[in-house]
Amino acid sequence: MAPHLELHALEKRFGATRAVQALTLAVGKGELIGLLGPSGCGKTTTLRMIGGLMPASAGRIVVAGRDVTALPPHQRDMGIVFQNYALFPHMDVAQNLSFGLEMRKIPAAERAARVTRALAMVRLEAFARRKPRELSGGQQQRVALARALVIEPSILLLDEPLSNLDANLREEMRNEIRDIQQRLGITAVFVTHDQSEALAICDRIAVMRLGVLEQLGTPFEIYERPANEFVAGFVGRVNRAPAERLADGRLRLGELLVQGSGTAGPGPVTLMIRPHRIRLGDGALEGPGWNSATGTVTRRTFVGDLLSIEVTVGPATLLVEQHSFAGAPGPAPGDAVQLAWRAEDTLVFPARVPA
Amino acid sequence: MSGRSGLLPLLVLPAVAVNLLVFLWPILNLAGLSFREGLPGGGLGTEFTLATWQELAADEFFREILLRSIVMSLSITLLALLAAYPLAFFVHRSDPRWRSILVVACISPLLISAVVRTYGWLVILGDRGFAPAILRGIGIEPGRLVFNMTGVVIGLVEILMPYMILCLLAGFGRLNHTLEEAAASLGAPPFTVFRRIVLPLTLPGILLGCLLTFVLTISSFITPKLLGGGRVLLLATEIYDQAIVTLNWPLAAALSVIALGVFGLAIFVYGRIARAAERAIA
Ligand SMILES: Nc1ncnc2c1ncn2[C@@H]1O[C@H](COP(=O)(O)OP(=O)(O)OP(=O)(O)O)[C@@H](O)[C@H]1O
Ligand SMILES: [Mg+2]
Repeated sequence: MAPHLELHALEKRFGATRAVQALTLAVGKGELIGLLGPSGCGKTTTLRMIGGLMPASAGRIVVAGRDVTALPPHQRDMGIVFQNYALFPHMDVAQNLSFGLEMRKIPAAERAARVTRALAMVRLEAFARRKPRELSGGQQQRVALARALVIEPSILLLDEPLSNLDANLREEMRNEIRDIQQRLGITAVFVTHDQSEALAICDRIAVMRLGVLEQLGTPFEIYERPANEFVAGFVGRVNRAPAERLADGRLRLGELLVQGSGTAGPGPVTLMIRPHRIRLGDGALEGPGWNSATGTVTRRTFVGDLLSIEVTVGPATLLVEQHSFAGAPGPAPGDAVQLAWRAEDTLVFPARVPA
Repeated sequence: MSGRSGLLPLLVLPAVAVNLLVFLWPILNLAGLSFREGLPGGGLGTEFTLATWQELAADEFFREILLRSIVMSLSITLLALLAAYPLAFFVHRSDPRWRSILVVACISPLLISAVVRTYGWLVILGDRGFAPAILRGIGIEPGRLVFNMTGVVIGLVEILMPYMILCLLAGFGRLNHTLEEAAASLGAPPFTVFRRIVLPLTLPGILLGCLLTFVLTISSFITPKLLGGGRVLLLATEIYDQAIVTLNWPLAAALSVIALGVFGLAIFVYGRIARAAERAIA
C-alpha cells in the first residue's frame, strides 16, 4: 500500500538550533503513528510543519503522492488538535465545531447534525452553548478534539490531546480517538510524551530525541527490541548496569557472568533489563537461556498490584517487579534472594562514551 | 465579601467630590451662561432669556457647522482607524524584543506639541512644500492641500493616530496567533480568518480607539484653525471664535453645551455597541 503521508528528509532550524533533523517517515492510509519523545525533542515542530503552520527549512511533505510542502494550511485538509486547544473565545462550543464545516460549505442542517454527533462523541452534548472559558481544561481539550474530528479530515494531527485529562477520562478518550480514527480510516499523527499512551493506541511509534528519529517501529518492536539505549530507557522502566562484553560473547557484571542479546562489544557495554522480566525464585528456573544471580534485598515497596524490590547484585542494583499475591508480603530488606531472567531479556548496548 | 463591599462606595467619594467641584459645577455654570443676554463687548445681562438658543435653532449656519463637524470627525476617525490598524497589527505581531521599541516609535509624536506638528504639516502640505512637489513629480495635480478641509483631515488623522494605535494595541491582547492557525487548519483562507477571528477579537480596541479619536477630533480647534486657514468652520473653532474673538459668551456657552451633547451621544452609542460586541465576544 502506498503511504498516505510521507516526510522526506524534513528539517527545521531555528537559528543555530536544529529542532528537527533529516526526518524521513512514511505513514500508511488509516495508520495511527505516535511521535514520542522528551520535551523539546521537536514533536510539535514536526506536527506544525506537517500542518503547514510552519515552513520547513528543508525536505518535503507528500500527501497521497502530492507534494504539499508549499501549500498553505487552509488547503491541506488536516485537522489539528493544538497543545493549548486554541478554541475561539468569541464562539460557543457548537460554533467552534461548526466553523470548519462552514469553511467546507456544508449546508446548515447537516452542519447541525454533525456538530451534535461530534459533541456526543466527546460527551459534551450539554455544553453546546457554553463559551470556552466556561469549560474546564479537560472539557476544552475535548472540544478541541471534536472540532478537529468533525471536519473528518484526511489527516489528523494531535498535539498531546489528552495531557489535561484525569487518568480515567484519559484512557477513555484515547480509546475513543483510536475508535474514531479506525472507523473513519483517518491517517493520524499523535504527539505525546506519555509512552503508555503511545504503546496503547499507536500502530507504529516514532521515538525522537533532539530532533532526530531514534527508532520507528510497532509498539512491540519499540518495547522489546529498542534500537538503542535511549529508546530502551525512554519507553518503559528499565534497569541499567555497566558491564563488559568478553571475547566469548558473555557479559561480565562484577563477579557475575551472564548472557545477553545484541552484538555490542567486545568491551564496555550497558546492560538493560526490564524490572518485570526478572523473576524472584529459588533457582528452579535456572537452565539454558536463563541467567541467574544471588543478591540482597535493599528495599521493598508495595504499590497495590505490584511489589517492587531493589536487589543488590555485585556492583549493580536491580529493580525487580512482581505481581503481588495475597498472603505473601515478599522478601524483606536484608534477605538473600535468587534472581533469574532470560538471556534475550538482557539488552546490551555499547557503553555511552562519557561526554 | 459583602461586609467589605459596603465600604467600597466610600472609596469613590473623593473622586466624586472632585468631579462635582471641577467638572460638573463649571458645566452647570456654562449652561446657565447660555441663558443670559450677551451685551456688546463681552458683558452679560442679568435677565433669563432664551434668545441665544432661539438664534441657534433658527440659523442654518450653526446646523451646517454641527453637521460638518460630526461628518468630518467620523471620517477622520475612520481614516485614522484604517491607517492605524495595520500598523498596530504589525507591532503586536512583531518580536517581543522589538515590540516595546516599536510602540514607543508609534506614540513618540505625542512628545511633540500638536501645535508644532500642525506647523510641520503647513510646511509639508503648503504650495511649496514637498507633498505637492512629490505628487506633481509622479504626475498628479494635487490642487490645494492646505487652508481647506483636505489639510485639516490630513493633519488631524496624523496627529490623532497615536491615540488610536494605543487603544488598538490594548485591544489586541485577546488575539493569539494560534487561534488564526486553528482557523486556517479548519480551512479558512486568510481573509476569512481576519473577518471571523481577528476582527471580532480586536473589536473592543477598535471601538475604544474610535470613541477616543472622535471625541478628540470634534473638540480640537488649533489644528483645524491653522490648517483650515480660517476657512473650515467647525463647532470647536466656532466656540473659540465666539468666546475669544466676538466675545459673545452666551453663544459660546450654548455651542459648548451642544458639543457636550455630541460627546454624550458618542459615549452612549459606544456603550451600546461595545456591550453588544462584548456579549458576542466574551
Ligand atoms: N519559534 C521557535 N523559535 C526558536 N526555537 C524554537 C521555536 N519553536 C521551538 N523551538 C525549539 O525547538 C525545539 C523543539 O521544540 P518543540 O516545540 O517541537 O518540542 P516538543 O517536542 O513539542 O516539546 P514538548 O513536549 O515540550 O511540547 C526546542 O528546543 C524549542 O526550544
Ligand atoms: Mg510540544
